[in-house]
Amino acid sequence: MKKQHVLCIALVALLTLVSLPVFSQGVKEPAAAGPVTIELWYGAAITEAGPPPSDWVGFKIIKEKLNIDLKLTALPSSENDQDVKVQAAAAANNLPDLFMVRRDVLGRLVGQGLVATVDDLYAKMPIRTATHYDSVSRGHARFNGKTYGLADPGSINKNEGLLIRKDWLDNLGLAVPKTTEDLMKVMRAFTFNDPDRNGKHDTYGYGAFQEINNYEAWPGRRLEPIFGAFGVDGTWSLSAADPGLMVLKPAFYDAMTYLKRMVDEGVMDPNWLAYKKDDFRAAWKQGRFGVMREQNAAYAAESNYAPFDKNFPDGEWIIVDAPVGPQGLASIGPYTASFRIYAISAKAEQAGKKDKIAELLEWMASDEGYYLLGWGVEGVNYTLDKDGIPVADGIANRDMAFTGSVGQTVTQLRNMVFYNGDIELYARYPKYITATSRKEMSALDVLREMQTKEWTAAIGSDTLPIPNADLKRFYEQGLSEFITGKRVLNKANWEKWLDEFKKLGGQSWNDSGIAFAKENNLLI
Amino acid sequence: MERRAHSSVLVREIKRHRSVYLLLIIPLTYYIIFKYVPIFNGQIAFKEYMALDGVLGSKWIGLEHFRTFIHSYYFTELLRNTLMYSFGKLIFSLPIAILLAIAIYESNRAALRKVVQTLAYLPHFLSWVIMYGILLALLAPGDGIVNDMIKGLGGKGIDFLTNTRAFPWIVIFSDAWKEMGWSAIIFIAALMGIDPSLFEAALVEGANSWQRVRYITLPSIRPVIIIVVLLRLGTILDAGFNQIFMLYSTPVLSVGDIIDTWVYRQGLLEFQFGLATAVGLFKGVIGMALILTSNRLVKRFGGAVLF
Amino acid sequence: MKKAVHQRTVSVAIKPTAADHSFNLFVDIFLLLLLIIIAIPLWSTITLSFRPYDYIGNNLQGMFLAPWKWSPAAYRALLGNAGFLLAFKNSFKILIGGVATALVLTIPLAYVLSIPTLPGRRVLGILVILPYVFNVGMIPSYLLVTNIGLIDKLPAVYLPGAISTYNCLIMRSFFEGIPNELKESARIDGATEIQVLGQIILPLSKAIIMTIGLFYGVSFWNDFFHAMLYLNSNSLQPLPILLRNILMASGMNEYVEVSAFGDAPIAAIKAASVFMSAIPMVIAYPFIQKYFTKGTLLGSVKG
Repeated sequence: MKKQHVLCIALVALLTLVSLPVFSQGVKEPAAAGPVTIELWYGAAITEAGPPPSDWVGFKIIKEKLNIDLKLTALPSSENDQDVKVQAAAAANNLPDLFMVRRDVLGRLVGQGLVATVDDLYAKMPIRTATHYDSVSRGHARFNGKTYGLADPGSINKNEGLLIRKDWLDNLGLAVPKTTEDLMKVMRAFTFNDPDRNGKHDTYGYGAFQEINNYEAWPGRRLEPIFGAFGVDGTWSLSAADPGLMVLKPAFYDAMTYLKRMVDEGVMDPNWLAYKKDDFRAAWKQGRFGVMREQNAAYAAESNYAPFDKNFPDGEWIIVDAPVGPQGLASIGPYTASFRIYAISAKAEQAGKKDKIAELLEWMASDEGYYLLGWGVEGVNYTLDKDGIPVADGIANRDMAFTGSVGQTVTQLRNMVFYNGDIELYARYPKYITATSRKEMSALDVLREMQTKEWTAAIGSDTLPIPNADLKRFYEQGLSEFITGKRVLNKANWEKWLDEFKKLGGQSWNDSGIAFAKENNLLI
Repeated sequence: MERRAHSSVLVREIKRHRSVYLLLIIPLTYYIIFKYVPIFNGQIAFKEYMALDGVLGSKWIGLEHFRTFIHSYYFTELLRNTLMYSFGKLIFSLPIAILLAIAIYESNRAALRKVVQTLAYLPHFLSWVIMYGILLALLAPGDGIVNDMIKGLGGKGIDFLTNTRAFPWIVIFSDAWKEMGWSAIIFIAALMGIDPSLFEAALVEGANSWQRVRYITLPSIRPVIIIVVLLRLGTILDAGFNQIFMLYSTPVLSVGDIIDTWVYRQGLLEFQFGLATAVGLFKGVIGMALILTSNRLVKRFGGAVLF
Repeated sequence: MKKAVHQRTVSVAIKPTAADHSFNLFVDIFLLLLLIIIAIPLWSTITLSFRPYDYIGNNLQGMFLAPWKWSPAAYRALLGNAGFLLAFKNSFKILIGGVATALVLTIPLAYVLSIPTLPGRRVLGILVILPYVFNVGMIPSYLLVTNIGLIDKLPAVYLPGAISTYNCLIMRSFFEGIPNELKESARIDGATEIQVLGQIILPLSKAIIMTIGLFYGVSFWNDFFHAMLYLNSNSLQPLPILLRNILMASGMNEYVEVSAFGDAPIAAIKAASVFMSAIPMVIAYPFIQKYFTKGTLLGSVKG
């Protein structure tokens, strides 16, 4: 019987253990005079580095200056996980005071009445508003006429370009292609004329991978220069003359035909459908193809360019104009302004924390906050060079520098203060000399050049309605099947497929998109 | 009279097992809190869930979520794909795992046995990201090793990973590749319990090794095999989300999209928790039906049953 | 111990037949084939994890990279990560707490379910299997965890999964395999069921208990999802979160000039982190294999 007693005790212990927290919840009321606690779920700037240490000087400053007890939670690094975490907390009405959130999710939280409006906050943050929140930013988080989130500037726009292997062109005595037909000839030569002169048939014309999300439909941005040549780059046309879904435009068929030709003639890297992002990036570093669309830093940042430099010391990519299509059109692709939205929960508003949050954000935008969150403490994590650009050079302990393993942790909140100002860009993309070929490179120069190319303005296209999952699948699967040959690409089949697409909801998606764009003055 | 006798037997039986019920108190408490409260919360499958109103306060909407799922344009296809993968894995991967366990058990080469036993489970830990890298190196249409061989023999490269005919096989084979060692562990554990005197008896009767496996080894682990199969049937509509999610891409959606990936795209990412729960319940009904039927079948043939 | 077991063919002196030889050959060839099939992904992952930053071959070509060209950069980056030690500690707490709780809860339930004469056994069986089959998904569980105040506490990661029905029923099936005469004789001697469990069942079930404990351990150690969902404080993040953040970094990496990895390629980091996830298994499995000896029941039944 003794054992039974032991069991009883264990049972009681377990039950108390489980129920204790239930009771303790009620005791948690904050003391009135103490600092205001603000829970912040942030998107880490360098996901792989750890969070700011608990003795980070920022906590102290924020407490002393603003009387705020800042509680940090790093959101998961993948966007999908972020969505899941934020939505789960929302479902339990347990959102933190201030949190980063994607626009789609924010819209749903607004529908549930879980987030506070921020329209009244801009006036309370004059410094921050001047650098962070223009009219596009305010429009980005607006639902039913009210703004529900502070949309901070995200990545720089037009930061990608069409790149061609200059050394291959030279080897084959070819000129930089100007039109889509030139491009086809170049791609053929890259595929069949051994441009790297290694005696093997192991190169292709164009390299890509499928890159899709809610706003960029199949096949994604890597092939936009092709669709751009036909005037159908992007999911939506925002031209006032002819708005609507690109796929419904007659020229889309021509673009598809061209893409199909690339695939059928074998000038497209046949692995393109199987590649994920990392595989694609490994492939151009292996010299597998000679034409691609790539992002400035992914191409030119020191660590990203190094493997290519080592393998092909004589290799050279150049940024070229988008090829011109039969109608004289050309575009690298659509561009929109990208944002990171920080929203305030309705709970925080009810607790009267909204002004305190504005105070915190405004302080972050002050010089003190900007440098502290952006680079750390001067002399400890960075020094200023003669142009006033924060650099890591003067720091004796490399780990402590803002680029080092410890220093990085104190700059995790920097995306809350950065707005793509010149100081940031110079600090982020310094000039360097490549290790093998001794070239001078700079991802910033590359970026500037990419921005001079032809792009299609599509500001606000990422606020248009998204299709439901079935329609999206029908749309993208159909396109891909025309390219892989599972469906035969001819006029009759295309029309038939478009009809079914429209019937399945494509037409109403198109119409609601146009209506939304008109309503919000997005048409150009 | 007979009833009373029966009930008094029952009371006596219950009394006799008093201490057993005591053992049950903690696990049952656990079950109620951690398993049945969520099931209670699962009523959001029939509700338009609003966070501010809570589970109980949200509006009933009947079978709306179930209808959304069943009326999906792709419903039959999703169901077909899901069943194809889970039965494919059951039919292919499970026997391989059992064979592996038996081979480890039967091998007379201690070194080989040990090496295999220590390494076999490790691929389980390779994430699907890593496995995809390996599959790509093997099967990529441009430069995969398998395609190099096909081309060397004068054939034309095959786009295994993005071809609707090859894709299902890739899913099933790669699952077996990654998981067979891990699945085998439980059968190895079961094999260790076999009474060796059975083998001696068999030897005396002149059974050869094949017959030994057939008549002693396999029947001895039959209860565990049955339990594993029954349990797998219960979750038959889980076809391996992580794997498919990593392997599939737009061109193979027609054979790659399964219920879970659909729910993922449709439900979780769009604040449709009621829908996700409804699909969970739908899967449960099918799983329960399968378990009950097969449990009855097994019982008829005198095997180990779940309940 | 193993040796003794393998003498079974010797102890009874009957000559192996041709069928026996073909059987042995078949078994060995089968194992050898599987060994090769298993070795390929393993070796390719190992070599991948040691890949220098400028190596560009694919995963299979990398298998033949000469060892003197290997680079430990990935491991240096992982182990040198500012959050690694803390994450490891948190994971360890989850592992120990989780396995202990899980076994304490699972063993009695599995045992009770294995008693054939227990009144209400069928009802109990159905009660246990229902939540396994009806997976109501994330939000109903999230609401529970929030309501009982477990949010942002380490047990939130393992308590919801502390009884896995699958593991429990597998364990039950092993308990059922223990010869009835053992249990009956104890009962006749007046032992309570608790004593039967403690004195008869547990000593005979070391192998399966270890195995199930291992299954639990591996699942808790690698649980990303619950940790992501239920833990908020940065100081509570376990290893899977850290690893996932590292793995996902490749997407973000392009925007920054210098990543936390120094010169380790992202592919190598991914591969190296695989071995982190296998740690408990690699450490525990050899010990468990000691209990994986043939005929564990033999002595006790006869003795």
